[in-house]
Amino acid sequence: MHQPPPASCSRSSRCECARVGVRVSALAPSQRPAPLPAGSPAPLPPEPASRGTSALLPVRLGPWCSPTGSPAPLSCETGCGEGSWILVCRLLVPTQVNLLSMEEDIDTRKINNSFLRDHSYATEADIISTVEFNHTGELLATGDKGGRVVIFQREQESKNQVHRRGEYNVYSTFQSHEPEFDYLKSLEIEEKINKIRWLPQQNAAYFLLSTNDKTVKLWKVSERDKRPEGYNLKDEEGRLRDPATITTLRVPVLRPMDLMVEATPRRVFANAHTYHINSISVNSDYETYMSADDLRINLWNFEITNQSFNIVDIKPANMEELTEVITAAEFHPHHCNTFVYSSSKGTIRLCDMRASALCDRHTKFFEEPEDPSNRSFFSEIISSISDVKFSHSGRYIMTRDYLTVKVWDLNMENRPIETYQVHDYLRSKLCSLYENDCIFDKFECVWNGSDSVIMTGSYNNFFRMFDRNTKRDVTLEASRENSKPRAILKPRKVCVGGKRRKDEISVDSLDFSKKILHTAWHPSENIIAVAATNNLYIFQDKVN
Amino acid sequence: MEVQKEAQRIMTLSVWKMYHSRMQRGGLRLHRSLQLSLVMRSARELYLSAKVEALDLETPSTPTRCPPLSPEPMDTQEDEEEASPRAAETLARCSAHPARVGRKRRSSSLSNGVDAGLVPSKKARLEEKEEAEDASSEVPDRLLPPPAQAEGAFPNLARVLQRSFSGLLNRGPTAPPTAPPARDAKPVCRPADPVLSVLVRAVVAF
Repeated sequence: MHQPPPASCSRSSRCECARVGVRVSALAPSQRPAPLPAGSPAPLPPEPASRGTSALLPVRLGPWCSPTGSPAPLSCETGCGEGSWILVCRLLVPTQVNLLSMEEDIDTRKINNSFLRDHSYATEADIISTVEFNHTGELLATGDKGGRVVIFQREQESKNQVHRRGEYNVYSTFQSHEPEFDYLKSLEIEEKINKIRWLPQQNAAYFLLSTNDKTVKLWKVSERDKRPEGYNLKDEEGRLRDPATITTLRVPVLRPMDLMVEATPRRVFANAHTYHINSISVNSDYETYMSADDLRINLWNFEITNQSFNIVDIKPANMEELTEVITAAEFHPHHCNTFVYSSSKGTIRLCDMRASALCDRHTKFFEEPEDPSNRSFFSEIISSISDVKFSHSGRYIMTRDYLTVKVWDLNMENRPIETYQVHDYLRSKLCSLYENDCIFDKFECVWNGSDSVIMTGSYNNFFRMFDRNTKRDVTLEASRENSKPRAILKPRKVCVGGKRRKDEISVDSLDFSKKILHTAWHPSENIIAVAATNNLYIFQDKVN
Repeated sequence: MEVQKEAQRIMTLSVWKMYHSRMQRGGLRLHRSLQLSLVMRSARELYLSAKVEALDLETPSTPTRCPPLSPEPMDTQEDEEEASPRAAETLARCSAHPARVGRKRRSSSLSNGVDAGLVPSKKARLEEKEEAEDASSEVPDRLLPPPAQAEGAFPNLARVLQRSFSGLLNRGPTAPPTAPPARDAKPVCRPADPVLSVLVRAVVAF
């Protein structure tokens, strides 16, 4: 149960917790308030989120719905010590359907794109299937089930509207993959984008890898803001000139034009995977990358599209003996010879490519012995790891299985160093979750820039953050009800049993169709992107 | 009884899911199919061990000491591994003991309990078709290897399905190509007939 905030923040007067309401979102062009005078505090919203108190609370890492634990927000690296999360903007993936609503959600209209305002209008093709910041955090790419990639760019800070920095606007949209048909197997290949990975920027253009179930593509996204004028053989409209009329020779000059962002597929890496690709990862050497499907991992060179090296193959000689599949894989952030892959049995293998060409024999094997008291009918399938991520330091890996997030130290293989319960109240509901297929949901997990906070999604559009240092956790909701600009996120609580307090939500009233599978954290700032079906929410901790 | 029903429900559900996963876009997903088959296997074990328990309880003179399974089928299954060896000895004893149905008596008269599973019995098959619920309770040793080992869910999938639903007794250990013959003498649950045969084909095609 969250406590009301203290009347005055007990921290130093420099703390900006109180002035949360200053930010303005691009979603409210018509409602932008007059710039506030510098000294006046913004009016506090009616129900501000709890900020905890500055007194140290007893460290507890229990179930987060325990009544005595305060769902205090997490410390942030920038800004004040105790921050809360506010909504920066809510973005919708543009679709073919033009539905500009003139009704009450007028503030959700965006200027240069058509939007869906209601979830009920959203087609399945708009469901966001992957979210990824680039290495500087300036760009945010999303992929959806319709094979489209939409790239958002952070708005530049400008002198006039300094408080608008931090919002993301559409930068480029392109169709990355199309549905295909495998005639040999009579199978349709989905165009859903499974993963997007950015390459580090090496010149003015941006490069990203996007993949569906079978094919990886390298896209180049570049800006064009100048065009040549003054051709000799063509006139201004592009028509060929009669050579007889050309009497002088001139050199075309580049003149500025409206900014145009174009995306071109530079490489297509196809026909290398029999099973469905679940991960791609760019190597730290920036020359190679790997793609992993259920049974094999292939190593590619960016320049070569017709060959790839198979580095892991766990397909048994007799398919009837299959017991586990690869669920995720990632390269080490600094060591270009090291990568990890996770399995459906809840194990992680670390491989060193220097050991042999085929890394079937792992270098390290991470597995936690099963807790016999938790053994149940569905134990096997909830232990399947859905995502594995290296920390930015390269020292730790984080894995997500159905109910928990675990942090492992690379130097200790026999058990994780930290385990966080994401939604343990679902443990008794596994049977119904099996019936409605929710038990197969693959949640992702992310680190923040300093590796001190980890975040993952849950149901009912909840997402959870765990602070590894203070051992505090918070549950927030990405919902349309809270999507007024500058809205502060209120920590949420799920009540397990017994008395349900006000503001708590009971397990049975959770909406399992609203799940947050994909989230992303800005590499250096406390800005997060949360994908909820066809909506992309961007939250920020810092207050300008 | 409840346990059996629950397990059977889960099995049917899993079968249904597997079948429908073939129809969805993108084709069969290996990971999903693997998970479904794992659940199916657990459900099958649960079902069979519950069946054994039920038989035990019905026959009070049985010298077995199997504690009754908890009615909540989704509870911890720490006895799952024990259920199999227990099932074996239970069946061994049960077969030696005047059982309630003619089927059981027949097999017990023929041989000792261990070999009961190896004896083909056409009459059993017919009776099975009438008593839809009576799954194979006397398929003892064949059950043991699969559950205990993590040998893989697919391998015995075809065999699993046969045994669970039809109580077919295979002819000795060389039963691998059971898929084709099994498809003919198929399961008791008629609605599942086409489903299972599709399934078997799917598994074999893998």
